[in-house]
Amino acid sequence: MLEGISLLRFDRKVLLWAATALALLLMFTVQLRWIPAHAQAPEPAPITVYSPQTSYSVSPLSVSGQTYIGLVELLEPLGSLEAKVDGKKYKLRFTPPGGKTEEAQFTEGKEKGKVRGENYKLPSDFVLQNGRGYVPLAVIPNLLIKLLSLPTEFRPAGRRLFVGVTPQRFTLELRQGNPSRLLVGFPSAVNPTIATGPGGVRLTFRREPVVAAGADKVGYDDPLIIGASFSEHDGIAELNISGTGPLMANFADGGKTIIVTGAPPPPPVVAEKPAAPAPQAPSNIPPAPPQQHQPAAPRFLVLIDPAHGGADTGAAITSSLPEKDVVLALARRVQHELGSRGIAAGLLRNSDIAISLDQRAVSANAARPALYIALHAANTGRGVHVFTEMLPAANTSPKSLLPWDTAQAAFLDLSGSVAGSVSAELEARKLPNTTLLAPLRPMNNIAAPAIAVEIAPPGDNVDQIAAAQYQEQVAQSIAAGIAAVRSKLPEVRP
Amino acid sequence: MSRRIAVVFALLVVIAVALGIYAWRLKRKVAREEQIAVQQAAAGAMASLASGPPTNVTLYVASDHDATLRKTQMNLVLPSERSERARALLRALFSAYLQTPSQHPIGADADVRDVYLLGDDTAVVDTNPAFADAHPSGVLAEELTIASIVATLNADDGRIQRVKILVNGHERETLAGHADLQRFYLVGNIGQVVKDLQ
Repeated sequence: MLEGISLLRFDRKVLLWAATALALLLMFTVQLRWIPAHAQAPEPAPITVYSPQTSYSVSPLSVSGQTYIGLVELLEPLGSLEAKVDGKKYKLRFTPPGGKTEEAQFTEGKEKGKVRGENYKLPSDFVLQNGRGYVPLAVIPNLLIKLLSLPTEFRPAGRRLFVGVTPQRFTLELRQGNPSRLLVGFPSAVNPTIATGPGGVRLTFRREPVVAAGADKVGYDDPLIIGASFSEHDGIAELNISGTGPLMANFADGGKTIIVTGAPPPPPVVAEKPAAPAPQAPSNIPPAPPQQHQPAAPRFLVLIDPAHGGADTGAAITSSLPEKDVVLALARRVQHELGSRGIAAGLLRNSDIAISLDQRAVSANAARPALYIALHAANTGRGVHVFTEMLPAANTSPKSLLPWDTAQAAFLDLSGSVAGSVSAELEARKLPNTTLLAPLRPMNNIAAPAIAVEIAPPGDNVDQIAAAQYQEQVAQSIAAGIAAVRSKLPEVRP
Repeated sequence: MSRRIAVVFALLVVIAVALGIYAWRLKRKVAREEQIAVQQAAAGAMASLASGPPTNVTLYVASDHDATLRKTQMNLVLPSERSERARALLRALFSAYLQTPSQHPIGADADVRDVYLLGDDTAVVDTNPAFADAHPSGVLAEELTIASIVATLNADDGRIQRVKILVNGHERETLAGHADLQRFYLVGNIGQVVKDLQ
């Protein structure tokens, strides 16, 4: 020891250099630990997943130049999922509908993992960020086959993933005449976005697994319709039909056929009486986002609004569990439960996208739902909080022109009936619940019966908020509560 | 590695660990002192504005754990002028939320800048940015805060029937992503919520 002290006394320069080097090393290590691996990489385009149950988008993550997919984001809509982080280990239990529970385990920074009890090698290291597990995109088809036992096909150019569904191959048949007609046939009904332009018409398929049956480009020797080209990109499919003049598209055969033909000359402009009054949005409201989630005009539609999304993460349930993810999972469960009761339900968002409060209200009112449900999550209180809007009751008729800020006031009685029914179903399942008024945006702007449901953990364990069993019970209660009062609610207004 | 280098390295590691512990304790101490300073500032502001005997007042204090608003009686020395008195009352309410631990935590430096009275029945509460920027997000959490503010103001001054909350002098869309801050809150409506939360 004395020898060491004497060394310190005589080699101060050495000591100083060593201390500086150690400090720099520590700083470097800390920085490496804190800088996210994907900090500088741009986010790759989303991937659309088509499955027998649903179609949805998944946002990939770029890590060290490679594309990774979040396992929870990918698997949650496909079945019942439990994910757990244990130190550097990430454990999954996944049960497909009507299938057997399969387990998988990966370790942060390691290529080796285990799937269904067997060794499984990833092409690059497993990534764990903010409590979420990511695997390389290249491994997804193979991993899904193992977990779901379903055929899976990935089309990298279009960023489209087909899981257990046969791609819908469309056929083209040109019937020449005056005017000529192009018949686009599909195996089942489709609902693309149709855009017409001066030189043709474009059909955009966001939710249907549509692919070309033959060549991607076809040319026609016709005075009106001169060609059709199919392309896939960024998770969507597009069919462009070119013409020598304006074209238009009409649905036939229950949506299984789209007929493209020449557009008639434009009619004289006449004032059109609005079909039904709707609250007037403030003039500074941005246009509503493209709505690919709203089903085509059913008579009785429940519109589910999973709150937040994108950069707006909502409440931090835990450090790695944002509100936006909890409510999206719950929304999908509620949609499924409603569907199993024969009630059509649409989601205002079905992926991690940001929608402003005003945009939500505009989109919801445009969809003319029979009922609007906003879903929230928090760790305040226990159980489920069911809210109706805290507005003074109005004598205004729902059929009159409604003020934007208080549109909901005309529907408070019906909203209260739904809240009471959902609360009774929660009670029947012995779930702690409270029914309250709340000053909640954008519920005040909704021109339809509306409730908001905020789930909190059922007990002291905050993680339970995302447990499949708890969410199932809550979703069943909401769906059963709605089904019980369905006859009281008006059907979709024309 | 020679014995000398090993000794030097061991000493350096010990020093680094000791410095880390010291820095961590120092950070905690500073945070604690800042917290106390905020509370003392609020109390000091009340004391400087107030004189006379203490008054028994009712605060509606929120609790996140059981999602309730509890009527709490306190003796405070309050100014006699209505808007100053309302501000002092809300600062006392915020002080309760800023304690550590708190039954209903709000943003660390949350404060009431001013309370303006419009006519006889409307109070406009101007809060500082920390109140909204750092408020915990959630429908119930935000509603509890708003209900406690409105109910506390009305309990002390029954003439206040409408309350508007501003942040740094401006209207804000929501408190923390949920509760609407663009509307005037009516005591009648909040009264129903207060009743349900007790």
